[in-house]
Amino acid sequence: MPPARLGLEDLGLGVGLRSVHFPYLLRHFPPVDWLEIISENFLDTQGRPRYVLEQIAERYPIVMHGVSLSIGSTDPLDFEYLGKLKQLAHRTGARWVSDHLCWTGVAGRNTHDLLPMPFHEASLRHVVERIRIVQDVLERPLVLENPSSYVTFADSTLHEWEFLARMADEADCGLLLDVNNVYVSAFNHDFDPREYLRAVPAERVVQFHLAGHTNLGTHCIDTHDGQVIDAVWQLYRWACQRIGGASTLLEWDARIPPFEVVHAEVLKARGLLAPHEGPAAGIEHDGLDRLRDAGRPAVPQPLHVVAAEVQ
Amino acid sequence: MSDPPRDLRQLQRWMQEVITSADGIEASLRSPAAQQWIPLSPSALEQILPRSRALGSLERLEVYHRAYGARLRECLRELFPVLARTLSADLFDQFALGYLQAHPPRSYTLARLADQFVDFLARTRPAGDAAGWADFLIDLARLEWAIDQVFDGPGVEGQSWLAADELGQVPPERWPDLRLVPVPCLRLLAFRYPVNGYYTAVRRGAEAPIPAVEPSFVALTRRDYVVRRLDLGLMEYQLLSALSRGQPLASALQSALRETHPSESVVGQVEAWFRRWSQEGLFWRLEQPGA
Repeated sequence: MPPARLGLEDLGLGVGLRSVHFPYLLRHFPPVDWLEIISENFLDTQGRPRYVLEQIAERYPIVMHGVSLSIGSTDPLDFEYLGKLKQLAHRTGARWVSDHLCWTGVAGRNTHDLLPMPFHEASLRHVVERIRIVQDVLERPLVLENPSSYVTFADSTLHEWEFLARMADEADCGLLLDVNNVYVSAFNHDFDPREYLRAVPAERVVQFHLAGHTNLGTHCIDTHDGQVIDAVWQLYRWACQRIGGASTLLEWDARIPPFEVVHAEVLKARGLLAPHEGPAAGIEHDGLDRLRDAGRPAVPQPLHVVAAEVQ
Repeated sequence: MSDPPRDLRQLQRWMQEVITSADGIEASLRSPAAQQWIPLSPSALEQILPRSRALGSLERLEVYHRAYGARLRECLRELFPVLARTLSADLFDQFALGYLQAHPPRSYTLARLADQFVDFLARTRPAGDAAGWADFLIDLARLEWAIDQVFDGPGVEGQSWLAADELGQVPPERWPDLRLVPVPCLRLLAFRYPVNGYYTAVRRGAEAPIPAVEPSFVALTRRDYVVRRLDLGLMEYQLLSALSRGQPLASALQSALRETHPSESVVGQVEAWFRRWSQEGLFWRLEQPGA
């Protein structure tokens, strides 16, 4: 059995680095435990994003989170992209490199969405083989996240959680457990999120993600545009009790508030995980969030364009 | 024994065709592009994508279909904020949709999403002189895309650039053969419309009318990671262009004079330009032959 978190450290409570917060971060260098970058925003830039990242990486632990690896695609792996990932990881001293269990495009295209996989033996072999190659190139374990999904496949013979567990074991990779995504997918596909979490191999969970989502009544969309709802916090606490502590990161990608607000949101985890809180309550889809979300635009996140600064 | 799963490549090609189509979800499923991978009527979609308790298969797949267009249009709006504000939201979305169909994204980064957007606008420009507004929009798109490139490209932050007095340190007899090496973030742009002033007005929130046709010239550069815009006159633009192409000073000046036929002596003007260029950091260093 591998060591907890594959031997990677628990970095504490971090937030996603977003360009709207660049000025605040460089002015105040606030006491946040760690920051996660969207890798693709920094692979090629020779402007402000690169400068900001250099300043940030000198002061905070950095984790690289990608959205274009397309580990499940049937297209060949992009070795030029992998080479750039490796260089960026080296330059920033990234603690680990993560992406998603998904495909983003095929036939040379990139839809810039995290598209779902069918879960069966053939797709498992396909993904495991590609993870091994990526890990060989990066010379470090890859950490893969469960994305939110909006369809399932009739061809699937495995549950997502079974696929994830076997994938992590057979490819010897890490897991980024997005608790909000578990909730969203459980809502969308009518399963119990606790069944999912019970099946996740605890020792392979390197990191947690938290985020807000939009509940449209019939389904949820992973919009990253608001606070974490209570049911997801409960699920997170339940997951921590079962899996143990791991680096936890809040993603906020649309209607982004000031940095202090984002930071305060993830710091809620401290109070939640304090011993006096007692065991986690039952996790139900409470239905209240759907009232709040009525009429909101719902675009799955993350998007990752950095707007130019011009005088 | 259950059937073997559908080939993953076939499934992905099919799903990509359906969710990236400009048509509605049912028409996308029926399209030859999708049917060539999985021949299927919309009513049979459940055979591939089961329904949930609350949503049918079609509605579930439509989440991806709707997201594809919405997220990429949003990115294009962020890359071309002034163009998007100039056009109505619907019109900008139509341009964006047409572009994304003609040039679906292929890069791992959204920073390359609009690589061919300006060319696309130029290629699909309505014919005829009456469509001058189209030329204005193309000019505006060119300016914004150039700003995006300068913002993200190489710069000279942390390095020194050519100071005004460096030229004075060179003996005058060697000036004709001097070459000025531009900073890597310098872009020189010629437009049919005065788009730079319009861009400034819109960014300030002003209700700016589309300006009358009038050639204009702009230099873009970057300092402290912020893109800077400099309005240029025709001769200054011509001289900067010749110097940036690597022409020696005398030859560059002759080219600019040939193109612009100034009515009076330009000596004082050229001196003022050099001071301005050094203040703005447009050139990196001097190269003297044999030095």
